[in-house]
Amino acid sequence: MADKKVRFIIERQDGPDEKPYEQEFDVDYRPGLNVVASLMEIQKNPVTVDGKRVPPVTWECNCLEKVCGACMMVINGRARQACCALIDELEQPIRLQPARTFPVIRDLLIDRSIMFENLKKIQGWIEIDGSWEVTNAPIQNPYTAQLTYKLSQCMTCGCCLEACPNVDYSYLGIEGLREAKSPVTADFMGASPVAQAYLFNLNPVGAFDKPKRLNALMEKGGITSCGNSQNCAAVCPKSLPLLDVLAQVNRDVNIQALKNMFNF
Amino acid sequence: MFHTTFYLRRLHSLCGLLVLGFFIIEHMITNSVAMAGPTIFNQVMGMVEEIPKPLFYSIEIGMYAIPILFHGIYGIYIALQAKNNPRNYGYLRNWNFALQRWTAWFLVVFLIWHVGYLRIYVKGMTGTPISFELLQNMFQNPVVAVLYILGMWAAIFHFCNGITTFCMTWGITKGPRAQNVISLISMGLCAVLCIATVMFMSSYFMY
Repeated sequence: MADKKVRFIIERQDGPDEKPYEQEFDVDYRPGLNVVASLMEIQKNPVTVDGKRVPPVTWECNCLEKVCGACMMVINGRARQACCALIDELEQPIRLQPARTFPVIRDLLIDRSIMFENLKKIQGWIEIDGSWEVTNAPIQNPYTAQLTYKLSQCMTCGCCLEACPNVDYSYLGIEGLREAKSPVTADFMGASPVAQAYLFNLNPVGAFDKPKRLNALMEKGGITSCGNSQNCAAVCPKSLPLLDVLAQVNRDVNIQALKNMFNF
Repeated sequence: MFHTTFYLRRLHSLCGLLVLGFFIIEHMITNSVAMAGPTIFNQVMGMVEEIPKPLFYSIEIGMYAIPILFHGIYGIYIALQAKNNPRNYGYLRNWNFALQRWTAWFLVVFLIWHVGYLRIYVKGMTGTPISFELLQNMFQNPVVAVLYILGMWAAIFHFCNGITTFCMTWGITKGPRAQNVISLISMGLCAVLCIATVMFMSSYFMY
């Protein structure tokens, strides 16, 4: 059992503007081993298959139970959570890459702060603090509540952004804007913030700001440039109903556009 | 507050479905007449010539040229934005997404050649009316015939897949099941139109 090895091919990068390169590592197999546990083994003894001692691989993880979203990376070409990627279910050698739709800080560590910026843009919260009296909250339809519970499980991991052919934030620097690789950059924010806008639009109090959210989504870099590749729904580790969400929010912004035109 | 990208994108979607859709259907109908033989085909072509010139030109420029140029030029911008990834995410819809862009690139080149040669050069500059014999001569070159079939197929796929995505973009089909039904119907339409193309193209070799 102990001599059975798992081969990892890891795409590494020493800094935000450095060139990526590949290194191979072997990890002792054990039942139930997953990618995060393997990376921990490599961290303990960062020696490549050529016997060279190298700086340990940098990556991010937190909850280890598919709730926090931090360990999202590209495993064998697919964006997913490393903590629930079981070695037994993966084709070997296992190829690990950073999610390059985001700026890479180092190795598998990425800068996902744009997702927070987008949540701010679509007002991913409910205004309850003000000069008005806070009394009994309106009741929410229990069927709607079931849907919003599902939508609230989004952990901002970024799988939907990495898999989407229309999202690209790789040009954003760690400190502000870095130069874009191509003159034409994608301008879709990804499914996740759209789902959050929908979540807060469904809330009886949050609905007060629905036009605000929809107008934010209509801006360049909002929902408009979604190209319906539907990869987001296929890769979402929380199985959010993203197809329904995108079509519904598309419907909502179209209606909002008519309101903007005729209520002007 | 003036959402330029939003309106351009929605206009692009509308142009694609209505104008290009009408254009494809029109091509399918007029070309299908070729199956009835040269005499009837030339009669129909002659009927098109009967349309008063001012009306004909304003339809051609206002309803065809401008919307298609807009759809094409803005479409190039959209196609440049995409990082196609069906190799990593090999889902049907993702393949269709990539194919939508690849057929678009082919169509840009094909349509410049097709419109540039037949409409602007042959009909416009030399004043030769489009007739069965003219097309028959042109398709004697097998490369031209194959490129024309591929051009039709690309346009048909682009249009039919466009119906599916149009319904999503405008929020018409919301649930995955409704989206699947529309997708199946439009792919069925795609198959029928592709077969019809081969049928009317072969009639140029039969007479």
